[in-house]
Amino acid sequence: MIAVVRSELYRLSTTRSSAMSLAVVSALGITLGTVSADFWALIAGAGAFGFGAIGVTQHFQHRTAVLLYLTRQRRIPVLLAQLVTALIVSVGFTAVSGASVLARGYHEEYLTTLLVAPVMAVLGAAGGAIARSATVLFVGFTAWIVFVEAAYGRMREPFPFSAYLDATTGDLDKLPVFLGWALAAVVGALFAVRRDLTGD
Amino acid sequence: MIELIDLTKSYGRIRAVNGVTFTAEPGRVTGFLGLNGSGKTTTLRMLLGLTRPTSGTALINKVRYRELRDPARHVGAVLEQGISHPGQSGRAHLVTHALLSGVARNRVDPLLAYVGLADAAHQRCGAYSLGMRQRLAVATALLGDPPVLVLDEPANGLDPEGIAWLRELLRAHARKGGTVLIASHLLAELAQLIDDVVVISDGTVRYVAPLAQLYGSTSARLRIRGRDPERLSRALQAAGALVGTDGGALDVTGLTPEEAGDIAFEAQVPIYELVRDSPNLEQLFLDLVTAANAEAVR
Repeated sequence: MIAVVRSELYRLSTTRSSAMSLAVVSALGITLGTVSADFWALIAGAGAFGFGAIGVTQHFQHRTAVLLYLTRQRRIPVLLAQLVTALIVSVGFTAVSGASVLARGYHEEYLTTLLVAPVMAVLGAAGGAIARSATVLFVGFTAWIVFVEAAYGRMREPFPFSAYLDATTGDLDKLPVFLGWALAAVVGALFAVRRDLTGD
Repeated sequence: MIELIDLTKSYGRIRAVNGVTFTAEPGRVTGFLGLNGSGKTTTLRMLLGLTRPTSGTALINKVRYRELRDPARHVGAVLEQGISHPGQSGRAHLVTHALLSGVARNRVDPLLAYVGLADAAHQRCGAYSLGMRQRLAVATALLGDPPVLVLDEPANGLDPEGIAWLRELLRAHARKGGTVLIASHLLAELAQLIDDVVVISDGTVRYVAPLAQLYGSTSARLRIRGRDPERLSRALQAAGALVGTDGGALDVTGLTPEEAGDIAFEAQVPIYELVRDSPNLEQLFLDLVTAANAEAVR
């Protein structure tokens, strides 16, 4: 599993688009953090979800999943390693992007988001393993937030993104709800990862 | 050694691969021939654990792929068209896979030189030509120095020099005792490379034998051009040959060149051209597939 994590981190750091987007979204987080800790928490969550999802779906988009599974045939440990990678990357990203929030003295918000945003990365990575396509996942998750969480639930129902926002704004009672959604996604991914790799 | 035993894959009611059985021996290059959609790729994917077989077994050195420890040290595979992330350099791609497979990173640069990509090592894979991506795929397959190589259409995108390079690489691998299984529909390329042939069509294996046996199973054909084709044709037929014509020259089966030359001499027909048509793998393959299809229709 350590070999997969090392390889994934190396891949991320040497892929120009991934490294660039990490830098750009971190800079955006730092900038928005000077305005509002809530804005930063929103960017941290969305960024963590995106990096988690893209880290996994890129393998299917560029067919490198074939090489990954040829080298590491046991797919569940590979998935777990990808989730750990998403956690590591999102902790680093959240820590750096929240520098301005920390500097402004919002220590509690900073630490809460640093705790919760990596769970969003796990949710994104697990969702990526299920959808195997970043476009499908992002469109689907956006539609979910707009129609289910916002229009139907008015961001007050125990849904994943609502629970994330509540948790980052100090309502830590919602953290178990959010963790439950992430766990459900991981369980779904553990089943989904067994599917055949179809040809291009 | 690669062994496929009664390997079957069904998608609903459709049988993509139907009871495929054959062996690829060490020290030999085995060609897995079939038209597009004949089941070659699905068979290789089952062999490599990427697709679950509906039934049957695929073994590499007596073990299922999924049960191999450190598979990169046992099997190198070239699948699809030069898989790599377009945003990574060729060198970074190889280092990523060296880390993944536990191979020393110091193998990367010599391998890049070996496949002719040393100058392009720091170039993004997205800027590589298809041939360069195929060379990188071969380098990735060779990372763990595996004794077994499995390649699906590896010559796609390679220029003639690249094809010759790949041919020599695979022959050298077999000479060292390695096992090579190569699937392709580019039959003319394979004819100069393979020792054994497996023909698949509609998911079913139609022929398994050494290539020499396949060539030997067909009668040699002569192409003869002379001054009086009609008189020559009559003389050859009288000697028991089967004679056809394309309008200019005669296609003759059932006689040796010496016999045909003597008959022409006796018939007093001057000969301008007499050549033996070497058996053509493409034609043999099409004959086998056509015969199999005709049998299936009956």
